[in-house]
Amino acid sequence: MLERRSALASAKPYVGSTLKIAERPGFTLTQVAGLSPDFETKLSTVVGPLPETVARAQVNDARTLFRLGPGQFWIVGPETDDAAAKLQGQCAVTPLNSSRVRVSLEGAPAREALSRLMPVDLHPSVFTPGGVALTGIHHTPVTVHCAAENAFDIYVMRTFAVTVWEAITDAARLFADRS
Amino acid sequence: MTRFRRLPQGGRIDRAKPVSARFDGKALGGFAGDTLASALLANDQVLIGRSFKYHRPRGLVAAGIEEPNGLFTLGEGATTEPNVAATMVDLVDGLVARTQNAWPSAGFDLMAVNSILSPLFQSGFYYKTFMGPTKGSWMFYEPFIREAAGLGKATGLPDPDRYDMRYAFCDVLVVGSGPAGLAAALTAGRSGARVVLADQDSDFGGSLLSGNDAGHEAWRIACIGELKSLPNAETCARTTVQGLYDGNLAVLVENRSHLRPDARKGEARMLLTQLRAKTIVMATGAIERPLVFSNNDRPGVMLASALRSYTNRFAVAPDKRAVIVTNNDTAYQAALDLATAGVAVTVADHRASVSADILSRAGAKGIAIFPGSGIFDVEGAKGVTRVKLGGAHAVTIECDAVGMAGGWSPVVHLSSHGGIKPKFDEAAAGFVPGGFPASHYGAGAMMGTYGLSAAIAEGSNAGASAASYAGFGKTRPVYAPEHVTDRSYAILPTWAPAYSAKGKAFVDFQSDVTIKDVKIAHQEGYRSVEHLKRYTTLGMGTDQGKTSNINALALMAEYRGITIPEAGTTTFRPPYAPLTMGAIAGRTVGAHFRPVRLSPLHDWHVKNGATFIDAGLWKRAWFYSWAGATPETAYVKEMELVRRGVGLADVSTLGKIDIQGPDAAEFLNRVYVNGFAKLPVGKVRYGVMLNDDGIVLDDGTTARISDNQFYMTTTTAQAGEVMSWLEYLLQCHWTDLNVQVASLTDEWAGMAVSGPKAREALQLAFPAEDLSNDALPYMGCKDFPFEGVTVRLLRMSFSGELAYEVHVAADYAISLWAHILKAAAPTGIKPYGLEALASLRIEKGHVAGLELDHRNTLDDLGLGKMAGKEKDYVGRALRFREDCQSPERWSLVGLELMEPDKKLRGGSILFAATDEIKGHGRGYITSVTWSTELNTFIALGLYKGGLGHEGEEIIAAFPLKNEQARLKIVSPHFIDKEGARLHA
Amino acid sequence: MMIPCPHCGDRDVSEFRYGGDASKQRPAHGTGDLKAWHDYVFLFENPKGPHTEYWQHVLGCRRWFKLARNTATNEIGGVVS
Ligand SMILES: [Zn+2]
Repeated sequence: MLERRSALASAKPYVGSTLKIAERPGFTLTQVAGLSPDFETKLSTVVGPLPETVARAQVNDARTLFRLGPGQFWIVGPETDDAAAKLQGQCAVTPLNSSRVRVSLEGAPAREALSRLMPVDLHPSVFTPGGVALTGIHHTPVTVHCAAENAFDIYVMRTFAVTVWEAITDAARLFADRS
Repeated sequence: MTRFRRLPQGGRIDRAKPVSARFDGKALGGFAGDTLASALLANDQVLIGRSFKYHRPRGLVAAGIEEPNGLFTLGEGATTEPNVAATMVDLVDGLVARTQNAWPSAGFDLMAVNSILSPLFQSGFYYKTFMGPTKGSWMFYEPFIREAAGLGKATGLPDPDRYDMRYAFCDVLVVGSGPAGLAAALTAGRSGARVVLADQDSDFGGSLLSGNDAGHEAWRIACIGELKSLPNAETCARTTVQGLYDGNLAVLVENRSHLRPDARKGEARMLLTQLRAKTIVMATGAIERPLVFSNNDRPGVMLASALRSYTNRFAVAPDKRAVIVTNNDTAYQAALDLATAGVAVTVADHRASVSADILSRAGAKGIAIFPGSGIFDVEGAKGVTRVKLGGAHAVTIECDAVGMAGGWSPVVHLSSHGGIKPKFDEAAAGFVPGGFPASHYGAGAMMGTYGLSAAIAEGSNAGASAASYAGFGKTRPVYAPEHVTDRSYAILPTWAPAYSAKGKAFVDFQSDVTIKDVKIAHQEGYRSVEHLKRYTTLGMGTDQGKTSNINALALMAEYRGITIPEAGTTTFRPPYAPLTMGAIAGRTVGAHFRPVRLSPLHDWHVKNGATFIDAGLWKRAWFYSWAGATPETAYVKEMELVRRGVGLADVSTLGKIDIQGPDAAEFLNRVYVNGFAKLPVGKVRYGVMLNDDGIVLDDGTTARISDNQFYMTTTTAQAGEVMSWLEYLLQCHWTDLNVQVASLTDEWAGMAVSGPKAREALQLAFPAEDLSNDALPYMGCKDFPFEGVTVRLLRMSFSGELAYEVHVAADYAISLWAHILKAAAPTGIKPYGLEALASLRIEKGHVAGLELDHRNTLDDLGLGKMAGKEKDYVGRALRFREDCQSPERWSLVGLELMEPDKKLRGGSILFAATDEIKGHGRGYITSVTWSTELNTFIALGLYKGGLGHEGEEIIAAFPLKNEQARLKIVSPHFIDKEGARLHA
Repeated sequence: MMIPCPHCGDRDVSEFRYGGDASKQRPAHGTGDLKAWHDYVFLFENPKGPHTEYWQHVLGCRRWFKLARNTATNEIGGVVS
């Protein structure tokens, strides 16, 4: 087997007592898009109920589904996910497992740290658990998923992973335990 | 003599917390709650600097953001910050401040000689001296002017402080926390709306902070207390709303300098907030206007409201006696408060009569009033000593300070940032907002509503309206404290001095503009407001004329015999107050200046001796240390490696796009000029795309993976552009095509294996695969599994040699790359970088980004024959327009250097041998390299008439280095014209 | 300026890419008429005032849409179907 290596393998770690910023590797990312009118029906037979809007994620067991726009979805599953194989031939299937890194922010100051990075309203009454924002951090496209009250998963483009990691950890420096 | 002193009690200072700062190298004591300005006054430091042009002694004029004179340099070394208004600086331990614009000191200023040279500095001085017939005089005068007239100096050192920025959202933004602002914020807050209240001051309350009424103070405390208890309200002190932009974007800058933030801990000195507010209530208050009279700039002459602020808020008052000169009733508030603090007060009132109520209240405090009088002159070289009145009572009064009360100017700046001009309001005798968009509201003094109870009522209404606009219905209004009677704010307009000696009468203190300058501007025809400003520099200082604009405007209107509204007003633009550049840059400095894009192979390159070069946002491996220490030597060795053996190059930066669907082939057939409909599965084709206008957009290769799936590559530079273009065509225009596109640029890594030994190398790396010429011919492709991952092998060449591209999911790129180098080691395979990659393609005559300059057609690049004759494609119609068919167009040529001792440079201008070497020439060199095959410099270029001139000798000129060289125009295909190597 | 993406809602203009005038009909693929293409590609009203234009939510859902915007005031009229 060839060794798998994350784009953040050489990034400087972030150490904080109130805020944890870490890469969360080990997922499968499959982009699917419709090529027939019954696409969403066929898709939901394989992966379960679909998110209604771009702004909400749908968690079905081990999979989290994101809607990217009309007739286009992301399926984020465990490393062993067979969704791509099952959907092959039924719609446009594009494996994107290497194309994104997942960075998670967890802890009370997570919203405050994120407010320094993305022009989206992060008020707890607005960006609630399950909420999704397709937006930009450090001029690059990101998908931000509010996984829990103070926990966020950010899907970052692989080739920008280091620069965005540095932008995030710099923005969060107030909460890091460094001298 | 003492002019100002600290009062034994009162004020909002905390006498239990002494503070020690340094001023001009000496200790400066004060208390928590002091500003640098109040501490200076408390220490009787009345003379604080020299004026901008004339170097006249100056003192503080104001207690707030409008301060024109009290500018200091704060900090030391790299943290030095010039031109900071002392009135806006909290006095904290360790603060270091210096006077500026005075040498060697404010008290003894050698530059005061400027005062004698003052005719030099009259209005129009800059215009006349530097734009007139004496060309070149700026060169002569500049050092003198800069030295003498400069304000503070920047350090030129990198700023070690940290500046932060954040995005925020709210329903109601309230700007200003005076009575109207507090009422608005609280009323809106009570509705449940998300409210942000911002104030530039260190505390909330606005004008209430300068009062001494216990009832008002109780009201202020109650409002702030309730507001802070609301979970939906955020209060921001020391936060200036610097500008309003489209879509209700407000830019707030919070100054946290007083906390002495530690950048190493991530603490910022300033925090810039981009706040998107559904609605905005402006309650920005008003600024008192000075009066214009002889020597009105003597230290100790200040705004009456400033005297009141210093007395009530900071417990600093004139030592014995103050003279207040006014044209309205509001001055008496200051007069009464000063008298209460034990200062003897005399009021000169321009108006012939004063109301009985005022007379009785003033009389009770022992205040002497001279109606129908104004100031004739002010004496005292380094501070006021004596005032001579003129008019009905020509008396002379010994005093320590003078208060000017010329009426009020509403702070309308924010209301006009969106382009709405302020309008003149006769009743308020000032400019008020000219209107508001639907989601903006104004309240209080900024609307010309000056009375306390009226301002609170207006603020509460505005807060309720704003909350309702933002979708919040029910609220409770905020009421004014009981027993408030609003006094009259009417003024007797006296713009020009009513009684004046011949001393300089200043209109703009900071820019040193006198009434005489305004007259000269009028006489010389600079009469419109904008001309007046630029001719006299009025209002051009860091205070942007906050105290001077209206007086100047009124004077000009008077000279022209027109009304103030007819004279107009100037345009207000952000920022409202001076702003440190660092606050704008925020965190995007140094390594965070722009995003950096890294190949999946980057870490390998770093560990294995690559030197990097920026290509757009990408860091690309330029050359490797095995080949040499400098690019000039290394790339030649790397080229030789590819021409004679085999090399491995990182091409992961190429744009890569997945194209799927039943109409995918038809789609590609439309966007590429050449045919793709019949491309067999397992084959790759080179393609060129045009824009609608017939100009080349990009080139690349596309492989057919299955009937309905294609794998496209684009150039590195145009990857984003092409992706957006394909999406645009599919989503906006060709909605009948059933095609889906997805970017694979980040998903797939690419590596080129090039050279005569390429097949041998790959066969060693992938022994299970049949890579023979029959199994994988030129322009063939195949996917195969290797060690648990899918490898995509495309046989194509950028270098002209036998070559392949190996693509693999990016997470496995480094291990596959390392595997190929290791397995193929017997072939001598080594990595080669971007410089060699680019040079190899020049030898082969492949066009790339440097040639595709968004101005050339297919024919210009010699690719015209590629285009399909039987099909339509994007850009086809306009490709054949007249201009694009001219034989005289700049088109692609190969160039060979004829003078072996010279070298060629990219960007050189091309001339025919007989041309005069001048102007834009007949073309230019796009790419240049040393050719290892031809042993000379060769180049690609665009030349007028192109290969129609093949064989001609021409000249390449590089005027920047004064170089010229003779070249020959040749075919751009320098090597292997038949393509034998590709098909080997 | 905030742009209302039909899929993601109001977003800052920095997330978008401007795509030009959307008021004209693109000649159908296969139309070889030089005049039709010339007019479509080169002739624009460029009005000061109401304008229909293309935008792409490039840092978001990547969808293109038509937007009504006043070029003089930047007032957003909303998404045009
Ligand atoms: Zn969107």
